Amino acid sequence: MVPAPPAIASLTRPTENLFTYYVLRALATLPALPITLPLLYFRHHTMRYEFSPEGIRMSWGVLFRHEIVLNYARIQDIHLRSNAIERWLGLARIEIQTASGSSSAEMVLEGIPDPAAMRDFLYDRMRGASTPTADPNASLAAILHEIAAEMRALRLALTPEGPPLHPHG
Amino acid sequence: MVNAIEQLLLGWLRVPPEPAPPEGAPGSLLLFRAGRNYWRWRLLCWAGAQAALLLLVLLPLLALLLRRPHPLLAGLTTLLLLLYPLQALFTYFAQRLDYRLRWYIVTDRSLRIRAGLWSVSETTMTFANIQDLRITAGPLQGALGLADLEVSSAGGSVSKEPGASPTHLARFAGIDNAEALRDLLLARLKHYRDSGLGDRPETAPLTAEAAARELLAETRALRAALYPKTSS
Repeated sequence: MVPAPPAIASLTRPTENLFTYYVLRALATLPALPITLPLLYFRHHTMRYEFSPEGIRMSWGVLFRHEIVLNYARIQDIHLRSNAIERWLGLARIEIQTASGSSSAEMVLEGIPDPAAMRDFLYDRMRGASTPTADPNASLAAILHEIAAEMRALRLALTPEGPPLHPHG
Repeated sequence: MVNAIEQLLLGWLRVPPEPAPPEGAPGSLLLFRAGRNYWRWRLLCWAGAQAALLLLVLLPLLALLLRRPHPLLAGLTTLLLLLYPLQALFTYFAQRLDYRLRWYIVTDRSLRIRAGLWSVSETTMTFANIQDLRITAGPLQGALGLADLEVSSAGGSVSKEPGASPTHLARFAGIDNAEALRDLLLARLKHYRDSGLGDRPETAPLTAEAAARELLAETRALRAALYPKTSS
């Protein structure tokens, strides 16, 4: 497994802009502000990311703790979403789907400094993204195979009752 | 004039420019937009909704106003009547921009769909994860030569509640080449014998390394056959 690039592997906390967005979101729920603001405050301040060579670990919460671990190879589709307010703050959500039963995203990465670069990194690690559809060495393999066949024919022509192919096991 | 307003709006909403294509083999890239008729279809849907609104809401309100109701009620009704052209203009622009801000990208390994004005969404899906393809077209869409091509990956069902963003689903809405695109996707899917769930795609049946090993074994055997005594 190739380790994640340093810019991504060193990422553990969401940006401060995410908290600004959370404050705006809490303000939108005007009457419920005293409840939503502390909730979102703790969500932002306990949110931790860990990008390992195999997958992502994300955790948040104080009283109700959440922790999600998923492997890059299990990602089904990636959605990069943002509304106008998020774009004003330079934010975007990366919603990651795995093949589990829920219809909502299994993991939503918020407050990533460069969302597009993160999306491209995840895409690179997804099944079927980096594995080319055809082996680039396919033609080389075919040529080698042909040379081997020629050698075999040569050997058989020299010693029709020669030793088996693998005399040394 | 209309374009200037749109440019201003796009700048205000910080709508990112055209999406970057996902990584793939050069030459396999296919970038296209919704069919030209998709705009006409959106316009027809918009006109239908506006007509329904006019008939079901506006005409009753007018009838109410003609009966000379209480001044307060009359004022409220007039306000609603004045809001009608405003919302018509607003939804008209929304339709226009929905058509313009729509990109479909297909490479040899994956697809990417970008759509949306207020909420911008960019979906990326690799062919290795595709479960099924579905083409749907209503009678009106069919008459306009349009169809929707939906590509699903494994996982939960698509949420039916309005406004919920579809997941596990990539939707080529209102394209005029649905059949051709389906055939292209199917041809590219064939490269993944274990498409859908499963482990990483198997490597090609004969790799260069395997062939090189075969050649090595054959060369050794040839030497052994020629000079049996020197064989180690």
